[in-house]
Amino acid sequence: MAMAVFRREGRRLLPSIAARPIAAIRSPLSSDQEEGLLGVRSISTQVVRNRMKSVKNIQKITKAMKMVAASKLRAVQGRAENSRGLWQPFTALLGDNPSIDVKKSVVVTLSSDKGLCGGINSTVVKVSRALYKLNAGPEKEVQFVIVGEKAKAIMFRDSKNDIVLSVTELNKNPLNYAQVSVLADDILKNVEFDALRIVYNKFHSVVAFLPTVSTVLSPEIIEKESEIGGKLGELDSYEIEGGETKGEILQNLAEFQFSCVMFNAVLENACSEMGARMSAMDSSSRNAGEMLDRLTLTYNRTRQASITTELIEIISGASALEAAK
Amino acid sequence: MASNAAVPFWRAAGMTYISYSNICANIVRNCLKEPHKAEALTREKVHFSLSKWADGKPQKPVLRSDTPEV
Repeated sequence: MAMAVFRREGRRLLPSIAARPIAAIRSPLSSDQEEGLLGVRSISTQVVRNRMKSVKNIQKITKAMKMVAASKLRAVQGRAENSRGLWQPFTALLGDNPSIDVKKSVVVTLSSDKGLCGGINSTVVKVSRALYKLNAGPEKEVQFVIVGEKAKAIMFRDSKNDIVLSVTELNKNPLNYAQVSVLADDILKNVEFDALRIVYNKFHSVVAFLPTVSTVLSPEIIEKESEIGGKLGELDSYEIEGGETKGEILQNLAEFQFSCVMFNAVLENACSEMGARMSAMDSSSRNAGEMLDRLTLTYNRTRQASITTELIEIISGASALEAAK
Repeated sequence: MASNAAVPFWRAAGMTYISYSNICANIVRNCLKEPHKAEALTREKVHFSLSKWADGKPQKPVLRSDTPEV
């Protein structure tokens, strides 16, 4: 009761008390939000409190996104690992020739449509650009087919003249082979190529995704290479059943190989996207927690400083009253 | 090494091997009995949006979808 009386009298006397002694008392105690005017104390704790509320909300949201990504990852991971068996027979039969020298290469860049997934899209674009530099030259040309919004945005800046096709909204429905094969069919029909290089993030584990390039050759190049020898030269030792010729079978095989490799690449990229999003959201919620700790300390400091200054004002007001008597 | 044999009918019609195998798979899926048929048909849904580029500019995108948006 008495304190309330003192507080009221302290407030009434406030304008008569010189500003400078209070500022001089306040400055060693105050944090940097308080420098400046009188009467700003309550506003700065409000500011800090608002920040704390919004940081806490962000932390909750990023934690939820991490859980969602984790559950989606579990679902896709099994399918991706099973789909690796699709292209392995092709590599066993036709070999893998990433360093083949061809006139027309087409680089198929796989990326995600949504953001907040860490750095995977930029690594894929870097590898695509490196492939471009490796394969460009006199009489050789490189064209891009871009799958996913993010790579489209990045590549648009400096390689837009080399883009032939761009595909988006692939992840809207759950991924299945029918979808990817229609996409592969479209690419085959619209683009002429000697070699297709598919760039994607291969999923090794939840924290490790490496950008990988898979090469699919067109049937004419395979025929040419088989004449030269090596792994492809052994193709002649296979017996061909049915009424088809070697050239036809090679064409069917090349198309099917492209479709299978694309299917596996799309699944692995989706896995990597979920894993990257998980780790990005995890580090983001950890950062939000740290920020919240720092803000809480600032808030408490501010609050205590304001209480101390109120007390000082009351006491000095009361003592001024005493002295005046 | 030109082939003397006739190309298969679907290649003469302009289809690639991929579209041929997709149509065959479609036929097989439709031969299933319920309830397997319903879950097989969910594996067939196609949806993506494709746009060709010319001179560094994207043309109007073509939506290839089983469920065209209204």
